[in-house]
Amino acid sequence: MGDDDAMQFDSIGYRHQIPNPAWYNPFKKRKGAGITHVDLSIPEGSIIGLVGTNGAGKTTLLRMISGILPLEEGTVKRHDSVMDSDALRSLVGFMPEQVRWSSQGTIRRTMTEFAHLRGCSVQSALDVLAVVGLKNRMDSTLDSLSQGMRQRLSLGVALLGTPRVLVLDEPFNGMDPVAIDAFKRLLRSLANKGISIIVSSHHLAELDHLVDTIALLHRGQLLAHGTTDSLRANLGFEQMTEIVLDRQIEQELLDAMNVLEHIESERQHRYVIESGHHDLLETLVKNNHTISTWRVVPPTLIELLCAATGMDRETIGMDVEQSSMIPFRTVGGEEE
Amino acid sequence: MTPSKRMWRLAFALSKQRMLSTRMLIMLPILLLFIPGMAWGFADPNIQLPAEQLPKNGTEVMFLASIGIVFAGTMAAVLIAHDGISRDRVSGVLEVRLSQPMPRWRQGVVLMFGHWSSIALPVAVLLAASMMLVGYRSGMWMPFGDALIYIVAAMLILLWYTVFALLASSIAKEQGSAIAFSIGLWFLFTLLWVLFTTLLAALNGVAVGDTQDQGYLVFEGRLDLLSPNGVYHHLLETRLDGVDRGVSALGAYFAAILWTIVPVYLFQRRLNRLVP
Repeated sequence: MGDDDAMQFDSIGYRHQIPNPAWYNPFKKRKGAGITHVDLSIPEGSIIGLVGTNGAGKTTLLRMISGILPLEEGTVKRHDSVMDSDALRSLVGFMPEQVRWSSQGTIRRTMTEFAHLRGCSVQSALDVLAVVGLKNRMDSTLDSLSQGMRQRLSLGVALLGTPRVLVLDEPFNGMDPVAIDAFKRLLRSLANKGISIIVSSHHLAELDHLVDTIALLHRGQLLAHGTTDSLRANLGFEQMTEIVLDRQIEQELLDAMNVLEHIESERQHRYVIESGHHDLLETLVKNNHTISTWRVVPPTLIELLCAATGMDRETIGMDVEQSSMIPFRTVGGEEE
Repeated sequence: MTPSKRMWRLAFALSKQRMLSTRMLIMLPILLLFIPGMAWGFADPNIQLPAEQLPKNGTEVMFLASIGIVFAGTMAAVLIAHDGISRDRVSGVLEVRLSQPMPRWRQGVVLMFGHWSSIALPVAVLLAASMMLVGYRSGMWMPFGDALIYIVAAMLILLWYTVFALLASSIAKEQGSAIAFSIGLWFLFTLLWVLFTTLLAALNGVAVGDTQDQGYLVFEGRLDLLSPNGVYHHLLETRLDGVDRGVSALGAYFAAILWTIVPVYLFQRRLNRLVP
């Protein structure tokens, strides 16, 4: 564990209890899907993107990191000291996926309540509202908040007591692009202040330009963790470039490269090619092409999964559909 | 601020919030009707009761009026607490609460005390007012010791039902099941228990039809130890003269302690293992 690690999770595991009724015991349960042997280091001030398909175990892992679910296996350390769940919860701020804050109570009352639960001063809790842009709505009732404001309130609650690690479960769900952009900028500024952030998503594109490293989770296992470049190097998938220009690229140029996608619309041609053609841009300019877009395309989740598991797209798709993780704990109705 | 102080602040805030809730406004007239209303009725000097039994003192009047606590007080406790956890669970707020550093047992105390006190305080006030009404109308004032036991017993039965409702709320994952579970339990102990007792007594060859039969009274008294309403009445009966239902005052106190400890322990254990 490095000195700059905010936290280190060693071989942690948790399996959900799912109903397994028998005639002699209708409440019998058995261990179902969960997380197995995950090792994860969270460096100070870094943003980790936790990606995986539906049912991969992202929420379960985030709940373990937040101290909501117990660690059935493994340990969590901070500066080489093993922490218990109480200590873990005091260092982690958790924002679940879409909390439906609703009551006639105000934002001020909610923050006051959570300040007591968190053990921080009420004034500092109210100050957090300025950070998330809710200071002017302090006395609004929770029922009157929009989805975006509810997300901000959830973030505000997660930020109480200056946590060392911020855990965000699908924070962009239900947010408009403007709000997402503002949210990303806020997260980056928090990371710059030394707060480590783990943010989950099943859309890699959402995490584009936000995360420092990507952790790829599949069927409860952490398949890979690193920067996009290191993942590409380790998993062996090619970087792609998107080019949008005014007319079709000359055939001799096309023959020299691997074109993955070509979409022709009214006045422009969009190509996605494997990167590595260093003189292509110069050649296109010389040939008097008007280039409106030239960018490196981040890998998609499915490409990462294919690279990490060695399976093809169809198999991955079927694998996800047939995964024992879906549904997690809904068998047998309402009982856990 | 110490952790204990924070815990009690949260509990009082929850209590205040529940006490000022719409459902409390709806239940208040019902409580008024059932607690002071019944006490006023039973304090009537010309009251006609079955078997021509007339209450001889204020304690007996309040014993008869305790049916108001059994029906309305316990129902109000269930209605106040039935969504204490399930509502937060459905909205996702429970997940946020459980991720806070405050230990779960403290959060459990907040939930229990907050919900219980929100119904206990109005009931205690109404009960005290009822005792005044009885004294005013019939001239039979309750001794202070009896009044204290009656209020403490009422607070205990409200605590038991509050904890049952919270336990149900922690098991159910949506509002409908939570209320069905809580009301079902209330229905069992408040209405079905008589049927259950009678059935069991009949199966044991006790003279069920004869309410003066000592065998039946003892059988019913002992079976009542398994019901919160029964234990509540046993506690009240410790202050009445000439009542022998086979359970001593010490037995009633012991049962009350067990009925307090066991559900509270089960609730705390449940909360400790709760998965949002």
